[in-house]
Amino acid sequence: MSQQTLKVMQSRDLKRTTSKQNIGHTLGTVGIYAFLLFMALVVLFPFYWMVISSLKSLAEYRMSKPTFWPQTLLLSNYRDAFTTANLGRLFLNTAYVGIVSTLLSLFITIITAFAFARLDFKGKDLLFAALLGTMMIPGELFTITNYITVNSFGWTHTFTALIVPFLVSVFYIYLLRQNFLQIPNELYLAAKVDGTSDWKYLWKVMVPLALPTLISITILKMMGAWNSYIWPRLVANDDMHRLVTNGLRNAFKDTSGEVNYPVQMAAVALVSAPLFMVFIFLRKYIMAGVSRSGIKG
Amino acid sequence: MKIVLQHLTKIFPSRNKKSDEEVVAVSDFDFEIPDGKLIGLLGPSGCGKSTTLYMISGLQKPSSGKIFFGDDDVTELSTENRGIGLVFQNYALYPHMTVKQNILFPLQNLKGEDKMTKEQMLQRAYEAAKLVQIEQLLDRKPSELSGGQQQRVAIARALVKMPRVLLLDEPLSNLDARLRLQTREEIRRIQKETGITTVFVTHDQEEAMSISDMIVVMKAGVVQQIGQPQDVYDDPANLFVAKFLGTPPINVFDGHVKGGKLYVGEDAVLEIGGVADQEVAVGIRPEGFVLDDNGPLVCKPVNVEVMGRDVSVVSTHPASVNPLVRSIINADNRFDLGNESVRYTIKPHKIFIFSKDNEERLRFEVK
Amino acid sequence: MVESKQQWKAWLYLSPAIALLLVFTVWPIVNTVRMALLEDYSIAAASGGDRVFSLGIGNFVKVAQYQNFLTCLKNTALLCVATVPISTLLALLVAVALNSIKPLRKTLQTIFFLPYVTNSIAIGMVFAAMFNIVGSVGTRRPNIVTLGIINNVIEFFGGHYVNWINTGSSYWANMIVLIIYIVWNALPFKILILLGGLQSINKQYYEAAKVDSTPRWRVLWRITVPLLSPMIAYVVITGFIGGFKEYTSIVGIFGESLGPAHAPGRLNTMVGFIYEALEQYHQGRASAAALILFAIILVVTLINLQVSKKRVHY
Repeated sequence: MSQQTLKVMQSRDLKRTTSKQNIGHTLGTVGIYAFLLFMALVVLFPFYWMVISSLKSLAEYRMSKPTFWPQTLLLSNYRDAFTTANLGRLFLNTAYVGIVSTLLSLFITIITAFAFARLDFKGKDLLFAALLGTMMIPGELFTITNYITVNSFGWTHTFTALIVPFLVSVFYIYLLRQNFLQIPNELYLAAKVDGTSDWKYLWKVMVPLALPTLISITILKMMGAWNSYIWPRLVANDDMHRLVTNGLRNAFKDTSGEVNYPVQMAAVALVSAPLFMVFIFLRKYIMAGVSRSGIKG
Repeated sequence: MKIVLQHLTKIFPSRNKKSDEEVVAVSDFDFEIPDGKLIGLLGPSGCGKSTTLYMISGLQKPSSGKIFFGDDDVTELSTENRGIGLVFQNYALYPHMTVKQNILFPLQNLKGEDKMTKEQMLQRAYEAAKLVQIEQLLDRKPSELSGGQQQRVAIARALVKMPRVLLLDEPLSNLDARLRLQTREEIRRIQKETGITTVFVTHDQEEAMSISDMIVVMKAGVVQQIGQPQDVYDDPANLFVAKFLGTPPINVFDGHVKGGKLYVGEDAVLEIGGVADQEVAVGIRPEGFVLDDNGPLVCKPVNVEVMGRDVSVVSTHPASVNPLVRSIINADNRFDLGNESVRYTIKPHKIFIFSKDNEERLRFEVK
Repeated sequence: MVESKQQWKAWLYLSPAIALLLVFTVWPIVNTVRMALLEDYSIAAASGGDRVFSLGIGNFVKVAQYQNFLTCLKNTALLCVATVPISTLLALLVAVALNSIKPLRKTLQTIFFLPYVTNSIAIGMVFAAMFNIVGSVGTRRPNIVTLGIINNVIEFFGGHYVNWINTGSSYWANMIVLIIYIVWNALPFKILILLGGLQSINKQYYEAAKVDSTPRWRVLWRITVPLLSPMIAYVVITGFIGGFKEYTSIVGIFGESLGPAHAPGRLNTMVGFIYEALEQYHQGRASAAALILFAIILVVTLINLQVSKKRVHY
């Protein structure tokens, strides 16, 4: 760099640059907030529309000029939705399937992850690699045969068909095993010295230490039951065993044309509510679980 | 409870599947630890001291040999049933339990006739906590404690079930220097108060010497010497033991015995008998040097380090194995660095000679 | 002695998982391949007992020649190609914007995650409501009661309303609604992953860029995006895999007819095709289609990995 250019650079008007820079920075920040708030609006709008539509009378909903706040709050839509879709029954069914499958699945996941993390046996690494390999295959490929299998077991139209085929999740086993491996070996030796059996060590030390992971798994599993649609439709789409997503879809078959949207939206809101409750109280665990898993439900 | 180790050997199979090189971690360890004593297992890393401790605890099974607690053969007994206490190097406190729960944990696992009521357990836990002076920390979690406090909790947990034997794995290595000094006194006090036979492992010779009733020096799986700390220091069995004990370490020279005289390099330092003429390694403790203008050992001074009570003279000698020779002399002796050379006579009981072949001690008579 | 006891114990711990996996994972893999390779296989025919199926690739040929399958393949591919880049870009912008602000960040982050915790059928119904024209359009005498909120907004800004999903709606209008819904649904996961990645980037790079007075947009393209490339590759790959399995979003908006009233099945996808075949007891055809789906996902993933190997900057 020549002396000349150096001199030119040094003699720049720093004061003017400062004020220009400040304006540019402020404009940039305003732009960023505007973008984020717009996107937030886009994300939130469907929820807002769901709630206010669910509170409108059918007449108000059908006005050619939309209202953004209901003129009269019509809570009876929720009562109608509850009876039309038989939501009580659907909620009970789904809760039953969700709770039973989560408990059994947690138990199997815990003991399997324990064996892979803590015990030594022949072919451990090979078996684990094979398990991970199955994660590559899309679930639809299993569904075809599982449908046949469940039929031949005589499980159609039972809760068993909804629970048993999905009890083992390779991904949850992997997640928990990784967590178990982080627990220092010394704790295991200390527990031996303190007179603990393997079984007791698992439940008294490893499980409490892996609690955050187990909570994440529980939530994702429950959400899975709440959102499952295809498999329940195939194997248990009868009044006794129908789950909430199918029930909702069945109760309101039409989505376009002449539809009583206020009641439909009330039903949708009722089905969505438990998920939001879980999200509000357990956000931390859901986000942690999701960022490690990348699977929905 | 005395502990008897009979021909204890541990061989690890080779990690590498292709070669069948086995690693002998402990070889033919034969020793009876007297009841109620504090024993230090001492040696550099990889010498088999921890393996020995783990075999006593039952966490590792010996390849051959037997272990007795008193008269009971416990070799095949699993750790859970041995009734021992073990303090781990990094304490291994259960992070999700409070101090109290950690200390109670071993008691809750007692079975059969040892089973205790809740009140008895709490009573015992409190006593153990009191012994290590952590009564006021019972409701904290381990993460809320300092290193020294965690150490005490670990000791309390090991002691609470009144173990037959207490084992400590490098108990002081995770503490800072000041705490280390304090804690080792503490360990000594607790051991004296409880009278439990205690074995601890360390690589720090000073630590072992300062609190042990007896020390066991190990190298590459083989016991080198067993004895009271002062005896081992004053009368090392071989060059390794002589080098391992003492700070500053012993000075080693190339030397030889010829015609009843011991030479360090070309300097004839001592008249001795009982050793045939041969090449030898000569070890001189730093405190074995005496300044003497007519002394036989001639060194070239490099530096003087003043340590208050003593003065350490750093010098060179052509036959020294290490680059520098370090002597410790009384500070009353004024020493002038300007001199060309420094001359010493050697205290005969501070000089040891070792065979060049196997580094075993060669005992001699002073004439 | 001790070792063999451990072996025995380990298999005991593993036994429930292994038993279930053998029945519901391993056997299906074997059986799906078997069914796909038996000509015209179906359970009904097989249970008759006397019919012998010959080996062959007939199921695959039939699937590939099937007009319906090609429609499904086209729909799936279109949805993938449109939604993955749009949602990735939007998510990247949102994540970068979120990462650059302090006030409101936590609140906005929570809002952007909301669509994740929804039932895609249920919220699909909300989207349908937003795009639906109540009344009748596409008939000779249209009788419009209300246009739906989206059309209201379009008219408010002076545009002409669009028949999005009702009878007579065009294929492209349908597709746009689906793309909007799928992007809306896909954003939260991508934002979460990308924001996580951004927060792990060493702040020193940005300080260095500041010292060199680099403008914001150049910081974004020359520093942030390259450093974030592993995360971007990850959301693109998972996005493609998810996109090829798209089905429930369509059921959510259009119902089980998978299309507007005048053209049912028009918007069906690969997964939908498989279930349809299954519900019609054509197990051989369903298996062949499932294997094709698997192969496509595998190839797309491998291509993505290959590209990202060249593009991912470390």
